[in-house]
Amino acid sequence: MPNPFVIVGASLAGATAAVTLREEGFGGGVILIGDEDHPPYQRPPLSKRYLRGEQPFEDALVKPVDFYASNDIDSRLGTRATHLDPIEKTVELSNGDRIRFDKALIATGTRNRRFPIPGLDLDGVYDLRTVDDCDRIRDEVVPGRRAAIVGMGFIGAEVAASLRQLGLEVVVIEGGKGPLDRVLGKEVGQVVEHIHRDHGVEMIFEELVSGFQGTGRVERIVTQSGRNIDCDFAVVGVGVEPVTDIVVGSDIEVDNGIVVDEYCRTNVDGVFAAGDVANHYHPIFKQKMRVEHWHNALNQGAAAARNMMGTASIYDEVHWFWSDQYDYNLQYAGFHREWDELVVRGSLEERDFIAFYVKNGLVAAAVGMNRGRDVRRAMRVIKARTAVDAKLLGNDDLDLRRLVLN
Amino acid sequence: MAGFTAVGSASQLVDGDLVGFDVNGIKIAVANVRGTMYAFDDACTHQQCPLAKGELEDTTVTCPCHGSQFDVTTGAVLRGPARDPVDSYPVRVEDDTIEIEV
Repeated sequence: MPNPFVIVGASLAGATAAVTLREEGFGGGVILIGDEDHPPYQRPPLSKRYLRGEQPFEDALVKPVDFYASNDIDSRLGTRATHLDPIEKTVELSNGDRIRFDKALIATGTRNRRFPIPGLDLDGVYDLRTVDDCDRIRDEVVPGRRAAIVGMGFIGAEVAASLRQLGLEVVVIEGGKGPLDRVLGKEVGQVVEHIHRDHGVEMIFEELVSGFQGTGRVERIVTQSGRNIDCDFAVVGVGVEPVTDIVVGSDIEVDNGIVVDEYCRTNVDGVFAAGDVANHYHPIFKQKMRVEHWHNALNQGAAAARNMMGTASIYDEVHWFWSDQYDYNLQYAGFHREWDELVVRGSLEERDFIAFYVKNGLVAAAVGMNRGRDVRRAMRVIKARTAVDAKLLGNDDLDLRRLVLN
Repeated sequence: MAGFTAVGSASQLVDGDLVGFDVNGIKIAVANVRGTMYAFDDACTHQQCPLAKGELEDTTVTCPCHGSQFDVTTGAVLRGPARDPVDSYPVRVEDDTIEIEV
């Protein structure tokens, strides 16, 4: 019997890889290792519908609980992989087990950043990654209580929206000039800011937290400029970092995550990576990128499984994600870090727009508000990598599909 | 309640178009794929977003909210987050009139 395929990380990327191996007919052993006790689940609802109590946990599962056993997938939940040796082809587990593998997939994802801020360990200070984290926050939800959100990236913005929808007072403390300012720019960030202001969120920008204070549990946040912000509990969302501990000391290349090519392969034969942890080469953008999107975890996990089976499967999806806040559906497609020009189609003021991030004459990315169809069409423009006239891009009467056909 | 209900003019729905209709209180989307009409529930099974406002590419419709994809010829889920298929309805064109059986 050949050694099994081992998948380290039982979240969306890892679980999807296991599912794909079976769906595509892989007959060998599959071991799925996850450090959480729960069967693999999807995280988007944790800041939205699950947090608001509108959806049961079962609806977030990647597959029904009995799927893994009935498809001969050996899932080892509540077990942490501590080390992967790509030469010996072994994975060591927290329970002392040592598994030999034929091929391995690293899908360890990201962990929340934790800065050494005094009081971070006080009761009532939370961050959000797992369903257990979410349940702890849910236990704090009582209408009228005051929640402080530290950081207004996508997670902070979604949690702020959900808690307002549940009737809590919400104050946000963000180090940047506005929500999502760094990623989406001032114009789009302001739209998001105004939406939250309209919904009664108090927002404090360009302030850094210097401490959480309280007797026994958090009662206030102190900022570096000396402001005291009272709260009944706090949720910290200040970014993530890739979890690469298991390859420390090995030859596997690590640079902002596990470095892989467009076939999800690391630099060491037989070891692959996918999902949030994978800094992958993207053949459309011709550069490496690491993204933390649901859609990427799903599709890259599947692509990695195919490549493990020897079916050369180039991963070149145009990255895409959504963020629901109140009645607004924000979608982003593509990849950008900087841009020369932001071309807006529609109206920022009316919150009905798609904005294009143009770099070197090419559309690198687009963000749309309540414009799912346009975002889908923009993905073709992004994929085509052809220069597009800004006037045409901004002309709302011109079907985006025509920009690609020409 | 059997029988076909007229919903609109076929010539207004050209190849590649996707339009929503209200048929006796039921919201139904109709897609024209190379001249063939397909009718299905105009509500994604994930969070009930209107599929008629999504994007039609060949026989695949993509939900405008969260990107779920369905095969318009069968209603089958091609990609999540939706898990359940959408219901399909018989559709025919009589003298340029689209008729749907609900």
